[in-house]
Amino acid sequence: MLSRKNFLRQSALLAGGLLSAPLVGEALEGASAYRLVILHTNDTHSRLDPFPMDGSRNQGLGGVAKRAQIIKQIRAQEPYVLLLDAGDIFQGTPYFNFYKGEPEIKAMSYMGYDATTIGNHDFDAGMESLATQLRLHARFPMLVCNYKVDGTPLEGNVKPYQIFRRGPLKVGILGVGIEGKGLIPDQLFGSTVYLDPIAEANKVADTLRKKEHCDLVICLSHLGNRYTTERKVSDEDLAKQTEEIDLIIGGHTHTFLDKPLVYTNKKGRDVLVNQVGFGGILLGRIDFEFSKFSGQKILKTEKILISSKTVG
Amino acid sequence: MIRPFFLRLSLPVLLISFLAACRTGYAPTQANYGNQRITRDLATDSALFFLIKPYGDSVDKSMSRVVGTVRNTLEKDQPEGTLGNFMADAYLTMGARQFQQPIDAAFVNYGGIRLNQLPAGPLTLGKIFELMPFDNVLVLQQLSGVELQSFLDLVAARGGWPVAGIRFTIKDKKAIDVYVKDKPLQPTAQYWILNSDFVASGGDNAEMLKVLPQRSTGYLARKALIDYVLFQSQQQGFVGAVLENRVRYAQ
Repeated sequence: MLSRKNFLRQSALLAGGLLSAPLVGEALEGASAYRLVILHTNDTHSRLDPFPMDGSRNQGLGGVAKRAQIIKQIRAQEPYVLLLDAGDIFQGTPYFNFYKGEPEIKAMSYMGYDATTIGNHDFDAGMESLATQLRLHARFPMLVCNYKVDGTPLEGNVKPYQIFRRGPLKVGILGVGIEGKGLIPDQLFGSTVYLDPIAEANKVADTLRKKEHCDLVICLSHLGNRYTTERKVSDEDLAKQTEEIDLIIGGHTHTFLDKPLVYTNKKGRDVLVNQVGFGGILLGRIDFEFSKFSGQKILKTEKILISSKTVG
Repeated sequence: MIRPFFLRLSLPVLLISFLAACRTGYAPTQANYGNQRITRDLATDSALFFLIKPYGDSVDKSMSRVVGTVRNTLEKDQPEGTLGNFMADAYLTMGARQFQQPIDAAFVNYGGIRLNQLPAGPLTLGKIFELMPFDNVLVLQQLSGVELQSFLDLVAARGGWPVAGIRFTIKDKKAIDVYVKDKPLQPTAQYWILNSDFVASGGDNAEMLKVLPQRSTGYLARKALIDYVLFQSQQQGFVGAVLENRVRYAQ
């Protein structure tokens, strides 16, 4: 006779064996596969026009009207697209000095951005001004889960997360902001309270995965890619110390990544991190291929096969 | 013996299978990446172009004004770069005029330099706005030699910031061989130091400055840059700065 302990172990092994049936084989089962295209920017910094043709390094690159056209083309080809941004929409060209963010937000609404998070420079004209721009011109949410904004002008104008549906896919998106101390002047940060981004992101991601049953959880982050000398929480820390985040769209450090970085989270699962420099020079793109699974199998995909794609 | 064993074993398996059947979902198995470079040859969305055009036209009306000519391309770099030196020189020279008193040194926080280059050629007002988009004002503070050393150590730990009036060496993230106006730093002496109000108020973790009183005339850092461009243009006919080993890494 098996002891109860051995019996449980054997059952678990058997169950585990059944559940880790070849995933690729199932993915090939026709209509159960879907593609979700994630397009993203960060630190666009009021760069509405292309960089001027003045002999500087990035001359001729970027510009919202060109970005918009590319996005339009991709949407014409792909049914399931999410267009995201990781903050610092504001500050960097005279547009912002003149209009305090109105044309930037209008352009993003026109392009059909689905969500952004808040960057430190999005505070530069004051929270009241940011709130006004969002209220009047934004057709997308600004997501941040680790700033407590109760009693500030941002109350009611930002939220911790939002759930998006693309066909059968349910995608949970949350946002995290950087510590304001030493970065955002006190009079601009006001009574906003900064909370530990890892703890807050874990809480929200947990809800999105377990209560809301999201198929993909994305975190928009303005924490910065990684730090060598400064002791600041980075996307690397976030990726390694979270449990339910699949993809981090980063910003703040203006990091150009040739391909997404891959980290292993606390549950041993892959987390992707991408960031595309600044100024709208690049439009980030990651296509996720989804397969249909039942029950526990969903939680069993630990490794994501990552490869480059040739974009036209 | 076999039959009951099988039953006992299969019950939990069945249970798991049953629970699994309750919910289906989708999981990512593959990710294909491919960032798209936004280049000049791409098509333009004309509706968006015309949506932002009125804003751009209005901005350009004042911002396309040429205020000077850059002789050699100015570069942002650490521990020292020509672009940073240009800005530090501007703050020191124009700050002394504005405050009408001698100033020992002026600093520029590296992260506050918002362009990587000022290319050789005509310099527009718009470029100055891009270089210094923040509405920061220049602030004067009196520091003891000890306090100045503490601030310089922060600057050193951050890889070196542009400075005018001081030269020093960075070793093990500390500032050594510090000279203020060509004289060795004296711990007990008092120095007048110019910074943006961002740094003087504790920005970039300059906690040692946060507690010190500030003198301000509301003079914008950007205004100092514009005034210096006009000043240099009048004095020498062009805008520029050179590398002088103001800040260097220890060999």
